[in-house]
Amino acid sequence: MSAQKTSQQEDDPLAMLADSINVWVGKLSEIVKKVVDTGPIRSVVNWGRIYSLWPVNITTACCSAEFGAVSGPRHDLERFGVLPLGSLRQSDLIVVEGTITKKMAKRLRMIYDQMAIPRYVIAMGDCAISGGLFHDSYSIVNGAHEFLPVDVYVPGCPPRPEALEQAIIMLQEKIRKSKVYAQG
Amino acid sequence: MSHSQTREDGLIRKIKEQFPNDVKEARVIRRSRPEIVVVPEKIREVALFLRDQLGFDHANGVSGVDYNREGRFEIVYHTSSLQNKEMRDLVLAVKESIPRTSPKVTSLTSVWPGVEYFERETFEMFGITFEGHPRLEKLFLTDNWDGPPPLRKEVRFPTD
Amino acid sequence: MAVPEKPAPLAAVESAKTSESGAQTLTVSVGPQHSGSGHMRLIIELDGDIIVDAAPDPGYVHRGIEKICEVRNIIKSIPVIERPAIIDSSNLNHAYIKAIEELQGVEPPPRGKYLRCLLNEMNRIMSHLYWLSIYGVFLGHTTMFMWPLGDRELFIDLAERLTGARITHSYIVPGGVRRDLPQGLAEEAAKRTEYFEKRLDEYDKIFFNNPLFTSRSKGVGVLPKNQAIALGCTGPTLRGSGVDADLRKDEPYAAYSELDFEVPTRNEGDSYSRAVIRMDEMRESCKLIRQIVKEIPPGPIRRKAPIVVPRGEAYSRVESARGECSFYMIGEGGDKPYRVRYITGSYRNMAAIPVLLIGGHMADMPTAWWSVDYWPVEADR
Repeated sequence: MSAQKTSQQEDDPLAMLADSINVWVGKLSEIVKKVVDTGPIRSVVNWGRIYSLWPVNITTACCSAEFGAVSGPRHDLERFGVLPLGSLRQSDLIVVEGTITKKMAKRLRMIYDQMAIPRYVIAMGDCAISGGLFHDSYSIVNGAHEFLPVDVYVPGCPPRPEALEQAIIMLQEKIRKSKVYAQG
Repeated sequence: MSHSQTREDGLIRKIKEQFPNDVKEARVIRRSRPEIVVVPEKIREVALFLRDQLGFDHANGVSGVDYNREGRFEIVYHTSSLQNKEMRDLVLAVKESIPRTSPKVTSLTSVWPGVEYFERETFEMFGITFEGHPRLEKLFLTDNWDGPPPLRKEVRFPTD
Repeated sequence: MAVPEKPAPLAAVESAKTSESGAQTLTVSVGPQHSGSGHMRLIIELDGDIIVDAAPDPGYVHRGIEKICEVRNIIKSIPVIERPAIIDSSNLNHAYIKAIEELQGVEPPPRGKYLRCLLNEMNRIMSHLYWLSIYGVFLGHTTMFMWPLGDRELFIDLAERLTGARITHSYIVPGGVRRDLPQGLAEEAAKRTEYFEKRLDEYDKIFFNNPLFTSRSKGVGVLPKNQAIALGCTGPTLRGSGVDADLRKDEPYAAYSELDFEVPTRNEGDSYSRAVIRMDEMRESCKLIRQIVKEIPPGPIRRKAPIVVPRGEAYSRVESARGECSFYMIGEGGDKPYRVRYITGSYRNMAAIPVLLIGGHMADMPTAWWSVDYWPVEADR
């Protein structure tokens, strides 16, 4: 992609050819996107996304104890396809568990920015919804929605493991009904 | 609970004999909870005496208290003994008061190395400077709070 | 939405040191995002593979609980107080209420004391199991991640039947406890602790006698005895270095003076001894639970206690799963305290982390660090 053109390159036939290929590739990618977003292909792509939601390894505050319990054998989160594996680039879900301090909010935003699209956010616990028990403290941010686009809110202090499982199911429903390129 | 307080009284007597002018007050609040109030200039000598002669080998914690109506800060060192088994349940409170307008005290990290992080926290929560501290900077509040030291009484909460 | 600005990069001044071999050291930031333990950063200086300096950078979960306690009624502060170590919430709750009761001069009835001990011991087991499961996953032993979490659910069921909540019980109130033992809980608790002791033998087989664990943890992260005492370490970190200090024996509270148990201690001071001590503590807690449900006296569970913090000072401490949790409370009348100073076991053990890490390899860092059971939420409060 040549953003700056010098006067030499303006008459360069190779540059003109490259620019026209760019335009053609751009139009081609629009066509591909339209084709992929139709019925059967959209369901297949969404099916793949729904049953392999990999969350980031993050355990913000006290709700992490219930997230750990959900990953355990009794309330098994792996049967939904949720496995905290791999690096940030390979994750598509971030579960903000618990109170978000101002110090951590900056890092959470950095983590969110590093994830590849499509990426989803679950705000788990009352503190991630609105500040919860600590709403008037001097060092916290009142809710994850202040700096992240949240998809599912799970109330509770901490939410029961069954509530978190229902949140994953609701997120799966949301993805099932959404377009393939909803996030770009 | 009316157990005898001979152990606590004996301790206070020994401290007062060693530092007759520097220990301003000494009393026993309840069983195994004696406390002494020391002038801030002599806090390090008293602490060394407690550690070397009386066996108080570690500090349980350092607390700052803001008595704003009396215009002073109070710093309380709680200390106890692990090596003397009979004294394990006794916690001695060593207090010192400084005026609110010039909060500076001597750090006790050379006496009890474990107070390093507690003194850092007292510094950032109240604004008290500990002279001689190896690394006096914010511990919990970096990026969290930029205003005045939050545990001072003039910093009010919205729900207060 | 207001996107927060990026944090400042790691200070370049720190990384301009040179090691003895003449090469520059590398500054590595471990955290704040990592699995299992909550947010805390360790700023580690590496010379090749050896750690030359480690500084903890806490504060990512600092919620200002000491200030919150000054503006809330003492009963409304109970959920706030027990959130730092949520898996061990009953011990923290107990320390807070003990300080208030010392100021008020109230003592709970004997049945209330036994019920407090029962919940404390169940919380100790629950907390150690969570620690063990995260230790397994830190070292790559995923079976050890699943088994303790499954066995922990046994005790969470018991706690839920007793108090109504899975982990945030808010069970201990000034004057006693909130609810009495339901029918059938005593027999169920005895059965489950017997089953759990057999499970502990299986843990020994797959993890504690496994050369994969022993070779990685014996001799790693040694904390000498005099340093452990001088730094103010507490809990299993201290008992792993040869000091048999346990507040349940040294300064008995609630019903512990009438119960029969031992305090496991080891002398080597390495990560292996700290881990095995927690296993032994779980066995002792099982014995204690069976004793309590057998010997619990009848009677009321709660004495009347006003919701007021009288004028005075109190310093109360309790042996929580991670060490000594202490409250220094100053009251001035009214229903809110004047000052609450809250120091937890993890906060005191934070001073030991640099000592354990410096001089060791970078790959030994998870083993040494997690053997201290530093719970960042508890240290930050």
